[in-house]
Amino acid sequence: MKLFDRYNQVNLIAYIVLTLITGIAYYQAISWVLTRQKDKDLQNEEMEIAEHVHVNQQLPQIFDSKYLQIGFKKATPNSIKRKFVDTLYFKKWGKDNPKRLAYHRDGNLEPGRGLITSVTLGGQYYKVVIVESKVETEDLIRIIFLITAGVILLLLLALFLTGRLMLNRLWRPFHSIMHELNLFNITEPSTIPMLDTQIDEFRAMNIAVTKMAAKAKQDYSTLKTFTENASHEFLTPISIVNSKLDSLLQTDNFSEKQSKLLDDLYSGVSRLNRLNQSLLLLVKIENRLFQEWQSIDLKMMIEEMIVQFEEIYQDKQLTLTCHFEAKEILASPYLIEVLLSNLITNAIRHNYEGGSIRIELTPAHFIISNTGAREPLPVEDIFTRFHKSSGSEGSGLGLTISRQICENFDLLLTYRFDSPYHQFIINF
Amino acid sequence: MKILIVEDEQALRESIEDYFSEAGNVCEIAGNYADALTKINLYRYDCILLDITLPGGSGINLLKNLKENNHPDGVLIISAKNSLDDKLEGLDLGADDYLVKPFHLSELKSRVTAIIRRKSFNGSNLLKFNEISIDLLGKQVKVGRQIVKLTPKEYGLLLYFIANKDKVVSKNAIAEHLWGDRIDIADNFKFIYSHIKNTRKKLMEAGCKDYIQAAYGTGYKFSEE
Repeated sequence: MKLFDRYNQVNLIAYIVLTLITGIAYYQAISWVLTRQKDKDLQNEEMEIAEHVHVNQQLPQIFDSKYLQIGFKKATPNSIKRKFVDTLYFKKWGKDNPKRLAYHRDGNLEPGRGLITSVTLGGQYYKVVIVESKVETEDLIRIIFLITAGVILLLLLALFLTGRLMLNRLWRPFHSIMHELNLFNITEPSTIPMLDTQIDEFRAMNIAVTKMAAKAKQDYSTLKTFTENASHEFLTPISIVNSKLDSLLQTDNFSEKQSKLLDDLYSGVSRLNRLNQSLLLLVKIENRLFQEWQSIDLKMMIEEMIVQFEEIYQDKQLTLTCHFEAKEILASPYLIEVLLSNLITNAIRHNYEGGSIRIELTPAHFIISNTGAREPLPVEDIFTRFHKSSGSEGSGLGLTISRQICENFDLLLTYRFDSPYHQFIINF
Repeated sequence: MKILIVEDEQALRESIEDYFSEAGNVCEIAGNYADALTKINLYRYDCILLDITLPGGSGINLLKNLKENNHPDGVLIISAKNSLDDKLEGLDLGADDYLVKPFHLSELKSRVTAIIRRKSFNGSNLLKFNEISIDLLGKQVKVGRQIVKLTPKEYGLLLYFIANKDKVVSKNAIAEHLWGDRIDIADNFKFIYSHIKNTRKKLMEAGCKDYIQAAYGTGYKFSEE
């Protein structure tokens, strides 16, 4: 849910509740005021009646009036308590009112306000009922209420629209920072630009983000430099161990046990060396140090490479199926050789005796498929550094390097399991 | 042959010196830029093993100095800088070969031998070892007068052995020499075995003596004894 929607939702509920409360209060207030007004009218009428009775010593004559009805009724003395009541008012329709025909009635009941009081005329106690129609009052209340509600609705609409416009405008720096963050790539030299915004919060956020990005980049570059330097420094000691082993081999006769030890030493140093070379290569690719791009005939390169691997896959009795179409790409020949050699090595190494390998090259893609483990490989892990299948003799960097090489040339290396084949796909 | 080893790392320098010191070879050493500069200006060598990063200066400058003075010494750059640019720059400046650290001494020996052979044979491309004679241009091997048909790997193996005669060459070194270090499948050791077996068989069938001996399961030795 967007912040703005959430904000509106809360606002809208608050507004509606508030409007309802206001409306009710307003209605009550107006109603109260107008009823008091009515009561005053009724009191006037009562006074007039009392005066009339006092002066004329007779009950006033009752005229038909549109809004006022007065009734007298004999009653036992002092049985009447003076009070105002909400009551109904029977409104008589005029003789030619079409409603008479339509409803077959003389009139209809309307809300009214009444005053029950008493008057004594010549010893006779009378109950006096004065009823006034409240229709007009109600109408008035309704009109006032409607106008008020209308104004409130308009206000809400205005608030909503300005809110939307304002917020969109206000949040623009935020979206712009988000956009920059999404584009951020730690390996790219570009930085997150400073925004031109008046809003303190966004300015603070922008500064924090810019700082963080710069720090991340610096840490990354420090780490890279460290890896590169470390790998470089390893070269000399490895060289020394290697040459001393070669020298040791020239000395006297060795027992079987000693030569076994020597063998293990050799293979250990050799692995260490390959690992180190792979790290160096990786750092160099990441630093984009291989920039001599050439047009490469991929078909020829793959065919040459297969010859180099011939003994190895034949020894494992692997069936190799090839389908090559002409394809040229612009890249560093050295890196493409490394890439192809890594993929082919993997296809052989992770295969079983008598398995098969399929290599396909079309203008659209390069696919190398091999039989091997029955289960698909964990896609998220295989391209990470030092991820190795158990018992693998490799450095654990082969696929990382391969993917890095592909990224270097804007190619995409993906893995797919199409039983029984493990496939590595490069899309051109 | 006369060789100058320009290398600042003492342990490595000593190993190389050790490996190259044999009857008929003279090895001189230089551990820094100044020593090396003095030596290359005073004496001539068949081959100079040149490290790029030296205390006091760059090996590339020594190479420039050699070429400016038209000295004919063979130059093999040995460097920890496995960068293509360095390699190309070195070869452009007239170095004969380029070897990246770490390397096997047998590989170094084989490269140096090749350089010296190219420099000194002066057009004659015939390499002889007792009854074996090798035409380096035509890549043809003869035992006595009989031609021995070797595969490219067997041919490479034979040259490698002759360059490292009387030395024990490790299986690792042979594997790297034949397949390069990019192919790192450990079980190509068994291919070495079959290549050696075949080479030996072909040579012996042509009447050659058996020069190749297995050395304690770790490597092989090509020797007259």
